[in-house]
Amino acid sequence: MDYKLQVRVQSHLEMGSLDDRSMGDLDDECLYSAEMDAQKTQSTDSNEQVSLSSSLPVAGNKMIRNGVYKSIKTVVFSNKLNLLMPFGPLAILVHKMTAHNGWVFFLSLLGITPLAERLGYATEQLAFYTGPTVGGLLNATFGNATELIISIYALKSGMIRVVQLSLLGSILSNMLLVLGCAFFCGGLVYPGKEQAFSKATAVVNSGLLLMAVMGLLFPAVLYYTHTERHAGKSELALSRFSSCIMLLAYAAYLVFQLKSQKDLYVPIGEEGSQNEQNANDDDDEAPEISKWESIIWLAIMTAWISILSDYLVDAMQGASEAWGVPISFISVILLPIIGNAAEHASAIMFAMKNKLDISLGVAIGSSTQISMFGIPFCVVIGWMMGQEMDLNFQLFETATLFITVIVVAFFLQEGTSNYFKGLMLILCYLIVAASFFVHEDTSSSGESKQPKT
Amino acid sequence: MDDQKSNHHNNKSIDLDDSPPFVRIHSHAEIGSSEERAVLELEDERLNSCDSITRKKHPFKETSSSDICHMKCKNSLWNSIKIVIFSSKLNILMVFGPAAIIVHKTTGYHGMVFLLSLLGIIPLAERLGYATEQLASFTGPTVGGLLNATFGNATELIISIFALRNGMIRVVQQSLLGSILSNMLLVLGCAFFSGGLVIMKREQVFNKAAAGVNSGLLLMSVMGLLFPAVLHSTRTELHFGKSELALSRFSSCVMLFAYAAFLYFQLRSSKKLYDMESKTETSDDDEAPEISMWEAIVWLSILTTWIAVLSEYLVDAIEGASTALKIPVAFISVVLLPIVGNAAEHAGAIMFAMKDKLDISLGVAIGSSTQIAMFGIPFCVIIAWIMGQPMDLNFQLFETATLFLTVIVVAFMLQEGTSNYFKGLMLILCYLIVAASFFVHVDLDSVDYLSYNPSACGNKNHIHDLKMNITESVGKTKT
Repeated sequence: MDYKLQVRVQSHLEMGSLDDRSMGDLDDECLYSAEMDAQKTQSTDSNEQVSLSSSLPVAGNKMIRNGVYKSIKTVVFSNKLNLLMPFGPLAILVHKMTAHNGWVFFLSLLGITPLAERLGYATEQLAFYTGPTVGGLLNATFGNATELIISIYALKSGMIRVVQLSLLGSILSNMLLVLGCAFFCGGLVYPGKEQAFSKATAVVNSGLLLMAVMGLLFPAVLYYTHTERHAGKSELALSRFSSCIMLLAYAAYLVFQLKSQKDLYVPIGEEGSQNEQNANDDDDEAPEISKWESIIWLAIMTAWISILSDYLVDAMQGASEAWGVPISFISVILLPIIGNAAEHASAIMFAMKNKLDISLGVAIGSSTQISMFGIPFCVVIGWMMGQEMDLNFQLFETATLFITVIVVAFFLQEGTSNYFKGLMLILCYLIVAASFFVHEDTSSSGESKQPKT
Repeated sequence: MDDQKSNHHNNKSIDLDDSPPFVRIHSHAEIGSSEERAVLELEDERLNSCDSITRKKHPFKETSSSDICHMKCKNSLWNSIKIVIFSSKLNILMVFGPAAIIVHKTTGYHGMVFLLSLLGIIPLAERLGYATEQLASFTGPTVGGLLNATFGNATELIISIFALRNGMIRVVQQSLLGSILSNMLLVLGCAFFSGGLVIMKREQVFNKAAAGVNSGLLLMSVMGLLFPAVLHSTRTELHFGKSELALSRFSSCVMLFAYAAFLYFQLRSSKKLYDMESKTETSDDDEAPEISMWEAIVWLSILTTWIAVLSEYLVDAIEGASTALKIPVAFISVVLLPIVGNAAEHAGAIMFAMKDKLDISLGVAIGSSTQIAMFGIPFCVIIAWIMGQPMDLNFQLFETATLFLTVIVVAFMLQEGTSNYFKGLMLILCYLIVAASFFVHVDLDSVDYLSYNPSACGNKNHIHDLKMNITESVGKTKT
């Protein structure tokens, strides 16, 4: 996995020196900081360089003790996406005044988008200070914190189907839409040759996704063939057991990533020795806010997202009726697209800069995270809450996920990309979205169905 | 006949000096000298001209100007007929066409009419490909490629359109599906198998990238077919009966768009490829087309009309033939029709595999499958939309599952980029399993259920009960 370290070194070069402030601004235009995405691809290596340059903490404290105002400036005002932030409080206002669910839903969705992005930023900043292990764990957990928070609120309301559908939709949109757009834009910018990416990582991720599909398939098929030993109970027990196994697999995957990166760091060090020097120097100013600030901001963002998610989830039912759109369509298509907007844009940006590995990490890594960590985690949380969330996503959704994973795994295995592959993935997503538009979810509990004509 | 052959020989001898592309050198060396008359006969035994198959593989290969051919190949009417009709031994079967019509008018025995018209269509399909390829050498690479992409499977499309007019939607779906299956498993398997037997020492290689792109497109088409089918069978449509049709039509448009993008993409990359190839081969791709442009167009229309006429008889006779021959209509549509209709391509693919030109065989087999899956099927849905027929992409669960499994197996086999006789044998055996499944598969949606299963006529409620049971069991899972 030496490509990742190369990538990391490159991204540090970009963000690095004071002279490259213009580059820094350029990077600000992407809705994510370069390091954050590099962070996502290598969730556990974040502080390899930190451990090497022991002078970091001292230098850091001297250079980055910000006042509260500076902190706010860095976190809140430095990103153009944060223009959307006022929509959050606006959503609450609308809810208190008019209670027009469609608007509340829409505004809270818009309000969450910048918060999600800032949350990622804060996580990455914090990860600089902790060791590589904790840093990696932080990224693995908070990487999709938005989806998880929304899911937990939905679970609390007993909207199990919404949880399943929104997580599924997140996987689908990451795998097809984000990846497809990245391939397509990258291919358009570099029409001459095919862009290459690391086959090994793509294959490992595909394998994990296939394993997740397996975990989801068995409860669904068991249920549909009416062959459970204790009808209704076996399937739930199986789901909970499978979730534990999937969490274990994900933990092993993190360990594996960490170990193999430690091994691979030495060879790349010889190759990029000059870069390494720069990287070490750059590391001193890479964290923009101090450790306690990151923790505080992390907490603030999480709290804000929770509040908005509460309104979001409550408004979903009403919004679906107001707009005449099935809830499954909202959960599977609309929610993930808007929630993932920041990651989406940054993946495209990196593909156009010919850093396809980072894009891949954002897209496929996110999918793997949700399927192997997010979904089982929600099942376990549901278990603790006493909610009966299981892994039976109903036949239609499970079949969708199955065919999507196979298509994407097939496309990835070659290790190259061009605009046509991207176009195919996007068109596949169109077909999936259209299917969900006409798909009525008959198993939604307590939610009104669209009238049949 | 000797005159025509020497004409043929003269036309082609020019190219020997210009050292045409590798493929043609081989065949022309065979035809070339007068001492090798015997070899010429062997060459004619190919049931397809070398060019048309090459063109199928590289639809966008450029040809040099048509100046030479204008001088040499303005044929008289007699010459033209000689070249088109008499130069291929397969055309002996042509007489079966009129025979079928005669039998239909006199006896109306459906089984014979069906078989005769099927046999009659085979040579016409082959000649259609020949005419298309001749025409394509006159037009530029773009139009030529488009021509090939459209007319490549013209026979299947014409048969399908006639079936649609009669409202036999199920036959259309199954015959297109069967065409894909037979191309992917049978034709490819035979090509791999024969090639592997002839070239025992090593594994044959083919272009992985092209195979990968085609497999990707096939997977995408499976996706397009899967969603309507699953939507329907899980009874989760928003507006029962209507959503699925709307989704099918939308997906068809998306798939046609994807196929157009694929053609565009191929054009771009084959332009580059052509520049690369011209280092090993010369740029003279122009092997004097044997008939002029207008002749090609005229022959194209004549053959299309003939095929249309025979298809009408064929389609009308299907149901009667199935009763007479005691075979389910599903089996006829999925297995018999495609095998016989594709016979010429089939033989061509095997021939090229044995000559170690596996890329061309692959182009014929997999390229044809992709064409039908991403162009033929959506095109039929759109045509049906225009006609007002409710054809959708819901091929019913059994057929969709078959296609899904087949595409996965074939995509997996192709990804290595090599072939040997064992892979070929596996593919052929897979096809046997598929064919056997369809032989015992009862298509509940097809009209012939009652006619095939006469005992069911007695219990008029039998089929109704069967459907009710399935609906109930699926309905139970919802609660």
